[in-house]
This record gives sequence, structure tokens and C-alpha cells, in this order.
Amino acid sequence: MNDGWNIVVCVKQVPDADDVTIDPDTGTLNRSDAPAVLNKPDHNAVESALALRDAVGGTVTAITMGPPPASAVLQAAVAAGADGGVLLTDRAFGGSDTWPTSLALARAAEELDADVVICGEESTDSSTGQVPPGIAAHNGWAQLTYTESLDPRPDEGVLVGTRDVEGGYERVAAALPVVVAMVFGANDPRPAGLHRKIFAETEFEPVQWTAADLDIEDRVGLANSPTKVGGMDTASPVERERTRVDSVEALYDHLAEVL
Amino acid sequence: MSHETTTAGGLQRPALQTETPNYDDAFDAVVVGAGLAGTAAALTMARDGLDVLMLERGPAPGTKNVFGGVLYTPTIRELVDIDGAPLERYIAEKRFSILSSDGDETAMSMRPGAWRDDPHNDSYTVLRRRFDEWFAKQAVEAGVTLVTETTVTGLLRDGGAIVGVTTDRPDGEIHAPVVVLAEGANSLVTEGADLKERPEREEVAVSVKEVFKLDRDTIDDRFRLDGDAGAAYQYFGEGAVGEAVGGGFVYTNKRSVSVGVVYRVEDAAAGQTPEATLDAFESHPAVAPLIRGGRRIEYSAHVVPEGGARAMPDLVHDGAVVVGDAAGLVLNSGVHLEGTNMAVESGYHAGKAIAAALADGRSDAEALAAYARDLDQSFVVENLRHYDWFQRTIAADRQFLFEDLPRALASAETEYFKMDRTSKDEHTGAARDHLVAAAGGWFGAAKRAWRFRRMLS
Repeated sequence: MNDGWNIVVCVKQVPDADDVTIDPDTGTLNRSDAPAVLNKPDHNAVESALALRDAVGGTVTAITMGPPPASAVLQAAVAAGADGGVLLTDRAFGGSDTWPTSLALARAAEELDADVVICGEESTDSSTGQVPPGIAAHNGWAQLTYTESLDPRPDEGVLVGTRDVEGGYERVAAALPVVVAMVFGANDPRPAGLHRKIFAETEFEPVQWTAADLDIEDRVGLANSPTKVGGMDTASPVERERTRVDSVEALYDHLAEVL
Repeated sequence: MSHETTTAGGLQRPALQTETPNYDDAFDAVVVGAGLAGTAAALTMARDGLDVLMLERGPAPGTKNVFGGVLYTPTIRELVDIDGAPLERYIAEKRFSILSSDGDETAMSMRPGAWRDDPHNDSYTVLRRRFDEWFAKQAVEAGVTLVTETTVTGLLRDGGAIVGVTTDRPDGEIHAPVVVLAEGANSLVTEGADLKERPEREEVAVSVKEVFKLDRDTIDDRFRLDGDAGAAYQYFGEGAVGEAVGGGFVYTNKRSVSVGVVYRVEDAAAGQTPEATLDAFESHPAVAPLIRGGRRIEYSAHVVPEGGARAMPDLVHDGAVVVGDAAGLVLNSGVHLEGTNMAVESGYHAGKAIAAALADGRSDAEALAAYARDLDQSFVVENLRHYDWFQRTIAADRQFLFEDLPRALASAETEYFKMDRTSKDEHTGAARDHLVAAAGGWFGAAKRAWRFRRMLS
């Protein structure tokens, strides 16, 4: 273990949450309105992966699944310092829900001989939080979800995670390989260096893997997605009851009456 | 555990590159700012075969850029095919209006039929966020490397010569033979490097602008427009900018209306706040109905260089040129409000001069001087020189132009068209008296007419 860990970081391209709107008629996201960016919690995942590499050595490989433009988020990860990237891209992946998505990422992580897989806690466009545990489940690996910080112990082959739990935190030691989901905002992501950013955006090319490369072409896509969306609806805000009072005394009397 | 990178399985392994290449002098030029001037320079250089790095502090080109609303396209048209550009409306009507603070308006409108015909006098409203991003994309397609979210913080020097830039990123220095300073009106890098003096207060204007969303049909009806026709309204007088020297504007976009005021920073510093000025303008009875019911979707503010030809810094240095707003290339003659066309023209000439200098293996000021010469002979500097008198003259005559004249015009109109049982002749005389009194008698009026004769010359 002297030559460090194989660290894989999973990243996702999402519509910029600051710009996204919801179509009031269909209840679906107007994805085309907003520019596509790296999912915000994934910035924390990338930072954790780089910090882990700083601590134990090894490499960080970013992976994402999506059409070719999604490689922009691999560029962002490489700009921040990741060593390389893999784009899982195939028409067969189209319409995949969290089950086949986590299967594809799990197979890719296995193919990369990962010791640690790090994800953001959830994506801002679907917010399920199911993919990181899904990767662990498909591969039968340990998992550390809602992790706030990592404490690697390479001599023992163990990664200790501090997890956010109700009423405090717990520290869990997981044997490698392990899948980690980092809490959004868990760390302060480092800015990309200028030369690294130029490299990522001009020369870096991810390798592309298809469903067949991972031997899962019959297990992904819409047909293999158990989630069925029954319908969409938007909740209208409830009109609050309002009373206007003219003085602090009147406010006090009113509150006393209501309470 | 190993991390082999190129083995086995038949599956191509990701190439792992931990070492970061160094890009010092990998580019022929670094352009600071992806606005109109910077992009025009970058595009011109890329077309001439240069490797160009363009650095932009915003998340995308255009996100940090503010202007009133009309883009003049004669030079852009030469550089790119603007048929695919995100233009809002062509200017079919220009309207000049004088507002008093009592709610009076006196206006003159013009709609030459020729403006309805392609290319519409090369005047279009655009939204900068969309247009600048599109324009920068044309540069990228021509081979320019655009890096966003990167702020240039200073210049690198070797002896006296500029040899690169520093940025706010880690490992953030990069060397290149030529730096194009296209950082805009708030030119902190150019000033910080002593390439330009900090402008005087009276040579800088502040602009605040709001965009109101309205239905396309509502805009068409209110402004009497159809198809892609649009309107550019300019306003003067105390009703537009209160106690300050400046003006207001209303421009129509496809589905929104831009409303703003521009006036001297000196007046803002004296206590007239931008938000109160804009609020008063938007509340004026001549303006409020134009934006009634509109939803405010954008609020922006910027500084505008209005020092004219005299305030222009040296445009050429050893290893650097200054273009666009950073070089003070904005024309405000009262009638003409221009900047975008001058920005593009300067970027184009700078790009050409840099390509020629680098072809000779040079990047010193003497080799780059063709840029300053070409710009000097272009409409850009010629117009700035021609109207150099304007700002000073109106500032000196503020009381008359902004307060007395708008009121006198309204009083004269009221008198001239008055319906009562007095003769027209008497009305005309009374109307004339209002105007002559405001102008300081016949002698004063003659003096003022002489002073402002160049306005239309």
C-alpha cells in the first residue's frame, strides 16, 4: 500500500441550480434554460478525493455518465487536480434511474480497481442520494454516507469517516474498498490552478467507456429502471392569515389571545 | 494495491497526468477580458494564425458587462456573420426628449424608412449576457482559448516591458509576448500598472439600469412597433437625472424594456444616489406608463468613461495595448451615445497590429504603434476629438439646459397652443418671451446658439 490508493470520484453534470426554473404546467424542470455545471455537492467530493490523495498518495480518477458534453465536469475535476477521467457514454444508458446508474458507476469503479469511491451526497437536479449507496451495494463494498470528514489509515487499510447523525456525529472505520458520500459543504474546495485549468480545458481528453465495455448493456437504460414517475405537481404556497396591529401592546394582547 | 494506467482487459485505461504542463509563452497573446473589445482583438489575432488566451472573470462572457442597450454593428459585421447573433430588435425609432421635474415633456421622434431595411443602420438592442457569450464563442471557434472565472490581478514585467499577467488563481502567473488590456471601464490592472492615470471624477459617469419584463405585444403596442422593430428613447433635463449632469434612456428588447440613467460620478458623490435618480426617472409621468406592469428582472450598475479624447491613455506599451472602455473609448455627444462600435474597432486594429508585430518577432511599443496610428485615423478617435467640447460645455450650462430650458419649453408650448379668446399672435409672443427669458435675453440666446452650434455639425 506504499504506492497510495486508487481514488475514484463520481461527478455529475446538472442544470445550474441558481438558474433552473420549473414549468408550472408540467411540473418538470426546464433543464434547457440553465447552463450545465458541476453538481455543487460534487465540488466537496472532488476536494475530499484530492485531500485524501495528498494524505496517502495515489491517484484521483474522475468518472461521470452522460452524453459527450458531460465531459465538461471531468474537465472541472481535472482542473482542480484530478489525474484523469472516464466518461461513461452510450445511448444504452439513456433513461437510467439510480439503479442502473449506480450499477454503471460500480462497474467502472471496479474496472479502475478503486480503493475509495467518493461522491457528493446528492445531485441538485434529482436529490435522491441513492447513487453512492447503490454503488456500494452493487459491488458489495463498505459505505460511509453523510460523511463530514475523512481520516485515512493506510497502514491498516482502513478509512475512518466522521458521519453526521442526529444529535452529534459518529466515527466509522471502513475496510477498503469503500464508497463515501460527502456532505454538501463539508470542506472548502480548492480553486483550480491557472495552468492546470488551461490543461484541463485544452489538452485533457477523458477515455470513453460504453455499456458493452462494462458488460452491462442489457442491464441499463429506461427498461431497466424500476422507478416509474406517476405524475408531477407543484405545491402552491398557502396564503397565511395576516393581522395588522398598531402598537406593541396590541401585538402582545393579540399573541396572548392566539396562544 | 497498484494504479496501473495502461494495462489489460482490452478496455482503454484513462491517461493519468499528475504533472501539469507549463503554458508560459505557449500563447502569443493574453487578452484580459472577454467583452466586445477583447473578443474582437482575440478573434482578429486567431484569424491571423496566433495562439490566443482570453481570460474572463465572469462565469461566462457578458455576465459582468453592462451597457445601455444599443449595439452598433458595422465592424462586428466585418468580423463575424451576425445573422446567427442573438439580436433583440433593430432601432426603428430614435426619440429625444426633454423632461422637467414638474412632469413636462418636449420630444422629437424620428423614424426614417431606411432604418426598416436590412441592415437597419447597424443598430440593434442586445442583451449583453447573450450577445457577448455568442461573440466569444465565435472567437473560440476561430481557435481562441477562453478561460472563465479567472480575474487578472496585475501585470508581469521584465525590465520595463510587460511580459505576462498575474491572476487570482493558484499557480496564477502566465507569460506571453503581448497582453491586450480589455478589462473595461473599471480598469484596475491598467491603472495599477501605471499605464493609465486614475480618471478625474468629472470624467467618469455612473450608470444604473433596470430591465422590466413585458409581453411582446404590450411592447409593440406601447412603442408603436411591429416585427423586429425597436425603439431607442433618450431623455435629458432635470426630470431625467435631477440635479446631475447626464441623461436617461429607455430601450426596447424583444420581451423586456431597459430603463436607466447615466450621470457624472461627481454628482453621485455630492449626494444624489443612483437608486433615487433611477426611481425618480422611472416615476416621471412621461416614463412610468412605458414600463407599467413590467416585472423587474435585472438591476445593474457600471461606470462609464466620458473623458473623451483628452482622457485617453497611451494605447501602446512595450508588450501591451489598451482597448475599449479601458482606453476610454466612449462617445457621449448628447445626441450620440456610442461605445460598443468603438470597442470592436479598437480590438480589431489592436489585433491586426499585434499580428504584424509578432510576425516580425517584435512586441515592443514601437512595433505595436500601428494600433494607435490606425485607431487615430479611424472614426473612433476622430469622433472623440470632434465632440471633446461637449461634456465640459453642458456641465458649465447645466442650470440652463437641465432646469430652465425644459420648463421654458413647456411654458412656451402651453402658451403657444393655449385655447382662450386671445389672438394667436399674442400667444406666439408670450411663448417667445418664455424662451428668450430662459436663454438670458436675445444676446444670451445668441451666445448659447453659438456655443452649441457644433452639436449638429
